[in-house]
Amino acid sequence: MIQNKQNLIAISLVLLFGVVIFFIGTDGFQAFTTESARSYQLMQNQPSFPPVTLEDSNERTYSFNEFADGKYVFITFMYTNCGTVCPQLEFNMADVYQSIPEKYIGEDIVFLSISFDPTRDTPEVLAKYRTYFDSDGETWRMARVNQQDELNRMLDTLGVVVIPDNNGNFQHNSAFYLIGQNGRLLEVMDYTKIQEASETVLDYLGETEDTK
Amino acid sequence: MKQAIYGLILYIFLILPPVANLLESIMIIHMHMQMPLLVFSGFLMGRYVITRFSSFFEKWNSNGIPGILLFVIIWSYWMVPRAMDEALTLQSVEMFKFISLPFLAGIPLRDSWKKLHAIGKDILFIYFISMLILMAWIYIGADDQICNNYLIVEQKTLGWGSLALAACVLLYLLQLLFTDQSEYQ
Repeated sequence: MIQNKQNLIAISLVLLFGVVIFFIGTDGFQAFTTESARSYQLMQNQPSFPPVTLEDSNERTYSFNEFADGKYVFITFMYTNCGTVCPQLEFNMADVYQSIPEKYIGEDIVFLSISFDPTRDTPEVLAKYRTYFDSDGETWRMARVNQQDELNRMLDTLGVVVIPDNNGNFQHNSAFYLIGQNGRLLEVMDYTKIQEASETVLDYLGETEDTK
Repeated sequence: MKQAIYGLILYIFLILPPVANLLESIMIIHMHMQMPLLVFSGFLMGRYVITRFSSFFEKWNSNGIPGILLFVIIWSYWMVPRAMDEALTLQSVEMFKFISLPFLAGIPLRDSWKKLHAIGKDILFIYFISMLILMAWIYIGADDQICNNYLIVEQKTLGWGSLALAACVLLYLLQLLFTDQSEYQ
């Protein structure tokens, strides 16, 4: 009987320990992969978009803040040689772009696709690439970041992990990013859920209109 | 006693930073070689620990269930993709790996296994097989990177490796069913 009781206590303690390590290890059962943990952390911290100099498909050079100019910015990270995720990511971004009423576009929100492969994604390459997705090159621009240190800092701040494989390609995580009017990160969204993403963006835009 | 020393040597060898880095650089070796070896080192060291503290184990793990549960929990925790990722990026998680696998999985496994009823062993085997198949399904099927530190190709390799392991455990169980164990005892 005593043996039984002790076993029971031991079992309870072990189970409790299990719950605790799983709880700590997954941010309270929220995040089972590093990717989900990353989005969760980012949305908690809301980091500011770091200062970077962009060069777009029209060979114009400007800083991120000049481009954003107090508007919401919808961002994706990609490289044009990518054959798998990036085209899908950009097509989905095009869908979000089209779902936003025209009155907001360029006024309250701008779109930006940033390449993390500046050596190959020259303005000419980007200019061609943007036409595949009906990006107008103005309210939705495609740009590269030429300074390697600026690029690294930006990817690092926003938790974009880019691993070059040995065939000139990159393995990278993908998401939609929404930067607020104050230049801080507001949302990291699942790029496969277009409807959800555009609703989230519209919510923000609607709020802005109410306060005007 | 000799066994415990071998276990200790194996353990020290595994936690040497160059060895650890090498084993962790390949996903399938990280999960299906480094981690089991750590458990194995604890299993070997367990001999000494269990004799030394026999009254403790007798008192708190008399039927083997608490120990085996602890083993299962630790093993399952290290199957979470994020745990594997963080072992590479966070020092504290790496330390937890080196402590939990040998001491909280290897030693309890040794103490519990012989105490368990046949039915408990069967449940454990079935749990192993289903976890391995579940992992194979996740890792082969996922188009996205599950671990940020490893390529998708490695992820698929791990998936197929897990499936192969599941098949091996299944074969082992089947041969148990069709052979007369008493002949060998």
